[in-house]
Amino acid sequence: MDCQEFRELISDAVDERLGPGYRRTFADHAGSCRNCRNEFELERITKQVIRTRVRPATAPAEVYESLRSTIRRSPSNSQGWLGIIFGGEFLNPAVALVALLVIVVGAISLLQKNNAIPLSTEKNIIAQSINNYTATMAGILKPELVSHDPDDIKDYLSKDTPFDVSVVTLDGCDWCGGVLSNVNGVRLVHVVYKIGGEGILYVYQVNLQEAMRGERVGLPEHAKSVLAKTGWYCEQTPEGCNVVLWRHKNTLCAAVSKIEKGKMIALLSDKKP
Amino acid sequence: MINPIKGLHKEFEKEAIPHTDILYNYALRMTGNADDAHDLLQETFLKAYRFWDKYEKGTNVRAWLFRIMKNTYINVYRKAVKEPDTVDYNDIQNFYNIIREDSTDANDLQEKLFGHLLDDDITKALESLPEEFRTVVILCDIEGLTYEEIAEFVECPVGTVRSRLHRGRKLLYSRLFEYAKKRGFVGKD
Repeated sequence: MDCQEFRELISDAVDERLGPGYRRTFADHAGSCRNCRNEFELERITKQVIRTRVRPATAPAEVYESLRSTIRRSPSNSQGWLGIIFGGEFLNPAVALVALLVIVVGAISLLQKNNAIPLSTEKNIIAQSINNYTATMAGILKPELVSHDPDDIKDYLSKDTPFDVSVVTLDGCDWCGGVLSNVNGVRLVHVVYKIGGEGILYVYQVNLQEAMRGERVGLPEHAKSVLAKTGWYCEQTPEGCNVVLWRHKNTLCAAVSKIEKGKMIALLSDKKP
Repeated sequence: MINPIKGLHKEFEKEAIPHTDILYNYALRMTGNADDAHDLLQETFLKAYRFWDKYEKGTNVRAWLFRIMKNTYINVYRKAVKEPDTVDYNDIQNFYNIIREDSTDANDLQEKLFGHLLDDDITKALESLPEEFRTVVILCDIEGLTYEEIAEFVECPVGTVRSRLHRGRKLLYSRLFEYAKKRGFVGKD
């Protein structure tokens, strides 16, 4: 056995994996070559140090409990996704309580106006988006999947969707989620981002050609015209929500949020292809 | 009537939850703190639960969960690391030349490292290893997995596991030796 062969077997020897045929020749070489013997000893010591001084960590009991609780509240469970958003894993209890109150008050006020908050079947995309944002905040429109990784959501939403789904990494985004729906026979994608300190950003997505044709879903003429000229369209609702529309490949995206308009555009502009 | 969601939930808990400790330990060694480890663990289990139908029943669920965690770590947590891990193998080789001159008595070195290095130094040295080396060292030397199991976990040939272990331990030793030198447990030069 030469030094090169010896070195290739050092890990096996340290981990006591050497076959009987190699043990003797390995030991013979170690006995005759000081450098190789040293190298073997150093690796053996390293393993020993790690094995004896770094003990495997055991997950605390509260971690187990928290895992079970999270799984029970995961989107595939009938309890829905609001529990995930307002659960202790994402927000501290005080913030969660305030957020919950804001939503309850908002929902009551909207219910007084409309009696119900359905998943919008409006033909007007802007109205649909605003209604859906409200439904999202009220927990009626629920993401099927929530993740810290936008790629997970994109993969999930892209399945059988006849246009390019856009789920991007936004600055300060805690997590994102998504759900698919069909309205008036049109496939729609709904993406929700939780932006730390800013709140929820809802993005409605539909096939651009479908939106421009305006048969089953469509845009008001002035919005269509501004979008065609500038690539963007913005408006503010009386309730203080900002709506931003833009094109992404063959997709029309409509974002709705209470995030300040400038911040919202800056957030989305960075990611615009 | 059987509730399918409850059934799925029970099945997942029965299969996946028993592997929490090994995943938590890996998360802790990769992220370096308990809060991030907890978040990584949560996210891993959420993804696993969501994609439970993709798991092939009867295969190694621990390896499947581990791969989800590793990918999540790469996609989410590693983005925060500005500089990629690099290893200068010339440095390692130089270290071997130095250490041979410094002390050729392996038992003496072992005693110095075993006896005096702080646990924190050892943990830091481990956490400073490039990810691919750290992973195999954690799985082999802390968790006691076989090369074959590790190969399944990290989806690479057994030969690659062997080579990463050898290089990882060499690099780790050089880092431990530096700590020992800084603390004056071995000669400066």
